[in-house]
Amino acid sequence: MIRITGGRVYDPANGINGEVRDLCMDGGSFVESVEGGRTIDATGMIVFPGGVDVHTHVAGGAINFARAMTPEDHRRTQAFIRTKTRRSGLGGMAPTTFATGYLYAGMGWTTVNEAAVPVLSARHTHEELADIPIVDKTTLTLMANNEIMLDQLENGEYERAKQVVAWYIWAAKSYGIKAVNPGGVAAWKWGKDAKQLTSPIEGYSKLTPGTIVTQLAQICEDLGLPHPIHLHCNNLGAPGNISTTIDTLKHLEGRRAHIAHCQYHAYGGDDWDTMCSETAQLADYFNAHPGITTDAGAVLFGDTVTITADGPWQHLLYKLTGRKWGNLDVENETSCGIVPYTYRPSNLVNAVQWASGLELLLLIQDPWQVFLSTDHPNGGCFWRYPEIIKLLMCADFRQECLKQLPDKIKGKIRLAEIDREYTLYEIATSMSAGPARALGMPKKGNLGIGSDADVVIYEEDEDVERMFGHPRYVLKGGEVVIEDGEIRETPEGREFLIKPACDPGIDDFMRPLFEECYTMSFENYPVELERIEHAEFADCLGSTRS
Amino acid sequence: MGGKVSCTLGEVKQRADFIVYWGGNPAECHPRHFTKYTLMQKSKFLPRGRKDRTMVLVDIRETKSAKASDIFLQVRPGKDFELITILRALIKDQNVSDEAIADTGLTREVLDDLVQRMKSAKFGCMFFGMGLSMTRGKHMNSAALLTLAAEMNAFTKFVAMPMRGHGNVTGADVMMRWQTGYPFGITFNRGYPRYNPGEFSTVDVLVRGDCDAAFIIGADPGGTMPQPAIDHLKRIPTIVLDPHVTHTSKLARVHITTAPQGIAAPGTAYRMDEVPLPLKPPLKSPYPTDEYVVRRINEAIMAKPFWLPDGSQPQMLTAQV
Ligand SMILES: [Zn+2]
Repeated sequence: MIRITGGRVYDPANGINGEVRDLCMDGGSFVESVEGGRTIDATGMIVFPGGVDVHTHVAGGAINFARAMTPEDHRRTQAFIRTKTRRSGLGGMAPTTFATGYLYAGMGWTTVNEAAVPVLSARHTHEELADIPIVDKTTLTLMANNEIMLDQLENGEYERAKQVVAWYIWAAKSYGIKAVNPGGVAAWKWGKDAKQLTSPIEGYSKLTPGTIVTQLAQICEDLGLPHPIHLHCNNLGAPGNISTTIDTLKHLEGRRAHIAHCQYHAYGGDDWDTMCSETAQLADYFNAHPGITTDAGAVLFGDTVTITADGPWQHLLYKLTGRKWGNLDVENETSCGIVPYTYRPSNLVNAVQWASGLELLLLIQDPWQVFLSTDHPNGGCFWRYPEIIKLLMCADFRQECLKQLPDKIKGKIRLAEIDREYTLYEIATSMSAGPARALGMPKKGNLGIGSDADVVIYEEDEDVERMFGHPRYVLKGGEVVIEDGEIRETPEGREFLIKPACDPGIDDFMRPLFEECYTMSFENYPVELERIEHAEFADCLGSTRS
Repeated sequence: MGGKVSCTLGEVKQRADFIVYWGGNPAECHPRHFTKYTLMQKSKFLPRGRKDRTMVLVDIRETKSAKASDIFLQVRPGKDFELITILRALIKDQNVSDEAIADTGLTREVLDDLVQRMKSAKFGCMFFGMGLSMTRGKHMNSAALLTLAAEMNAFTKFVAMPMRGHGNVTGADVMMRWQTGYPFGITFNRGYPRYNPGEFSTVDVLVRGDCDAAFIIGADPGGTMPQPAIDHLKRIPTIVLDPHVTHTSKLARVHITTAPQGIAAPGTAYRMDEVPLPLKPPLKSPYPTDEYVVRRINEAIMAKPFWLPDGSQPQMLTAQV
């Protein structure tokens, strides 16, 4: 039992904007009142719901591949020393599992969504997630290049495709669907890509990326997934890709959707020399369509390692940078690519990317629609979020940072003309309440009675970056996990998953298709529920769980 | 430059119309590999199976696998790195001298033909074995081959992967990486993971006599390590968890018999392409699992006072020294 008294509370889910209120918690949830227990005096402090990362890559084959490729970074980064209650680990570009939990919790984030899981290696992802302490987790299954599913769409078998998707979600024990470069990754299996939404995909006669986008979004609707389609659009990173992105959004019209890391999809120009920001166009679209959400995928200058299921893009990045390249194609399902990368302010392309991420966060008016993310570790590491918060809250600081960009940036970006500054209430929305709502997690990002008691308390500080980087207290499930910069407790987090309704005949349908293209036994493929540590079921919309 | 461009085995089964085995003998060392994953499989893209695939074997001697191949290239011992480097040049139409080619034991005609076939493949895959990674040049050889595969993607789809040995070596590698950032050769003697193969690898630590206890699971170093390492294992308290009596268990102070993995103990094994496979034991064993024993030992250690007094150490280093 804990009572937090006297703090200024920012709870956008309940419309509370900086009022001084008490919060009581018991048994992991907020309650009306408590008798006895600890009281935390938060007088003069700021109280937020725990952060929710809607799009990150923290566990599984891809990030573990990245760890293998960057030993030189591990050597120079911060180290966590083993104590009686804490495991050792390393921070850096691709932190180890235990360190990932400590770093997220240490900055007040208490829920993370691992955004790209191949089903074939989902067992591995869950094993890693079990080793990430403190935070709660969800996972999304990669689906837009799954050839068994694509074959159904090619043949106009929508109902079948829907059943196949439901079967895969349960096989992976995941929470929803991620679509990466629809059709483009399947084409990459032959060394090709898919750049036009309306052209047939390599290896198919009719099926186009546009059809996949529309039908997969509809499948997510029809299955009642708590989180809608989570879409990484075609043509990521390419100059002039704004037309693809807008076209994709039009294919989604009328359906719920979350557009991942929109910064990478908002460029004008014809080539690398003429590349410029087209964020205003994209922001206008979001402003006119309140039903869709996005996360920024903001870029920060410095070293990182890029990892994505978008295999063809990573091949291009390897050719552009001449740095190391990792690629792993996963049978029938997807690919993944890894390339270490350094964003430099002096590089015109990087400068456009840096500005574009911030522009989208500032030009999309409603913080319930655009969320804080760097697509960790792609645009920068998650533990650098406080730097972005400062950039959003301080227009003067942004102007200062703009000075380090090359002169030639003039006319390519519009960040200099934007004077909006985020309020604390808007930050709380963008880092917690908004992403929780988009994920369909009503008990997260919410300080109301009955919600999960995940709270972060900051000591007010003029230096916003320091304030958000070093919370005074972090509570997870009603337990103090961080206090005065020290890790107090390291409880294990929970994993949320769903079981969409599925035709009982689907196993018989899947088996022969499966045996044709996979190399493991059909019985061994689905992850057993017992393998998920602290599994927690979420309900699909309009259905009751069987 | 460099890196690793790879895929899971199902991709090879489905698509690879051009397969190279370099310094490995799958016909004898991985008997089910050809039939299950590569040469013999039919797929919707390769409906005639073996007939739709070309197989090349590169090795220093004509092994049983040569019989299964369409093309056998006998490279001169110790010249793998040079041969790979020449191929990297030839695919880019760079000049290579006749002497350099002759030095590898092969001819220009043969190599030109090989390059032509590699480029006209729809999906090429190169497997490499210990004959490449454990001979002169070692990891430089593997790195060069991985780079060749990466560079081939400028022309067509190409991947490469190592043929791993038996046991769950890959699983240990994968798990150590997520917990510590490194695959092996790790020390925790400063309280956090540090990596230096050649210094912190088990064999080096033992030969130097740097450890004062050894805890060994699922391995038999007593049968394979150099004598000074074995001598040190005999000197110190060595604890072995193994279902069987082994060289190591015989020299150990303590041998705890455990249930065999996959037969009577559940878990996860990682295949050579890092695909995790569940182990579903068909039998029950009277012996405890490795996991159970390790948990019990860990609980007993946790009950002891912590090895350092409270507050005597920082929790975190912002930069390593
Ligand atoms: Zn991502």
